[in-house]
Amino acid sequence: MSSSLTRAQLFSRTAKGGAVLLVAGSALGQFVGTAAADPLPDGDLAYARLLVATELLGIDFYGKAIASHKVGPRLLKRLKLAHANELQHYQSVGTILTGAGFTPAGATDLDYAYPRGAFRSDGSVAKVALELETVMLGAYLGAVEGIQTAALTPVVARIAASEAQHVAYLSTIKGLSSFQAFPNPMTIQQVSNALDVYTA
Amino acid sequence: MSKRLLALIAALLLGASIGSGGASGGTAATKITVFAAASLTDVFPAIAPGNAYSFSGSNAIAAQITNGAPADVFASANTTLPAQLYAAGLVEKPVNFTRNKLVIVVPKSNPAAITSVYDLANEGVKLDIAAPSVPVGAYTLQILKQMGLTQKVLANVVSQEVDVRTVLSKVALGQADAGFVYATDAKTVPGDVTVIKVPAWAQPKVTYAMAVVARSPNQAAAQAFIKSVLSKTGQATLARYGFLALPKPVQATTAGI
Repeated sequence: MSSSLTRAQLFSRTAKGGAVLLVAGSALGQFVGTAAADPLPDGDLAYARLLVATELLGIDFYGKAIASHKVGPRLLKRLKLAHANELQHYQSVGTILTGAGFTPAGATDLDYAYPRGAFRSDGSVAKVALELETVMLGAYLGAVEGIQTAALTPVVARIAASEAQHVAYLSTIKGLSSFQAFPNPMTIQQVSNALDVYTA
Repeated sequence: MSKRLLALIAALLLGASIGSGGASGGTAATKITVFAAASLTDVFPAIAPGNAYSFSGSNAIAAQITNGAPADVFASANTTLPAQLYAAGLVEKPVNFTRNKLVIVVPKSNPAAITSVYDLANEGVKLDIAAPSVPVGAYTLQILKQMGLTQKVLANVVSQEVDVRTVLSKVALGQADAGFVYATDAKTVPGDVTVIKVPAWAQPKVTYAMAVVARSPNQAAAQAFIKSVLSKTGQATLARYGFLALPKPVQATTAGI
């Protein structure tokens, strides 16, 4: 959704579209909120919570990697960009929950655990980052298929594209090819299990 | 069957277990009566062995206090019940004192082959949970809602219990394929159950609170008991039994999170 949409246009769209109320979420024009009158299905809210958790993990990891002072300037620049992207994603996905009257999890709600030596070098940071980004990409692709509320799909798909960019860059760093005609979506259970590895 | 499990069953058969010892948890002279959540059964006597304890579902003991039961301290597995009693003038201002997590327990033989929360929705699984009025039951429903599993998993519930220890004992005895309990309870019968993690992103915030009962004739000793639980030694004992420390105030490092 364009950030230039007026409030009247937003409400007009809502009236035409029915259940979901789209609201300007951030300066970049990401949305998303929901009307209390017709709440989102539990399954969609579960997806939103899971996606919030994946973003928090990404934010935490990139934050620690940036603060480690073990990363070269070239990778560091990209990590900062990815970190900023994940913050924007978090805010956007979190708005799904706040719009539905729930408080999204915050940084202090989860305890993270990374492999030993994760922040030792460019290579080790890129390795874990690629693992996390692959999970995030799979999570968003899975959400595109799994979320029932059609109005939520565009932003989820756009975030998936953003995560795919991260995967592509990190794959190159690791000397891998990230070209796939149809990257694999992950089920909510697969994403949850993958997150378990990095959360205490 | 382990000795710990036998002890647990014996306690359950006796109903709300009331025990007392020789020393006091509050002052040296005054023995107090503590009404506490069932999940505190092992750790409270370890912190203050000299008192009389009554352990049960937090909702049940809150009702007993409301009805005039002679308690000096109320310790609940949530913050809402003490807050309600405080609002009603039945207890002094509550204080939070520890946290916990929920886990799934399955019998060692794991007859339903459960490896994650999602497996609880499988056809034929016999799930045991605490009643929604008990904090652990409410937390269980919260997890299922968080994960979008409410309908599918609740369809497999075969029994609802009055407290967490009853859920634990039924699973340990193989009367159910799985149950939701606190992580600290699961630790008490390690030989009889296998623990399966509840995903961190779906964990409810399980915070315990306690308060001096307003009608208590032993206010000073009751306050001393609370102080002993909040003390370094008390908190270390809670940690030794698997309870989690209260979160420390954290400086915000990332705006909006």
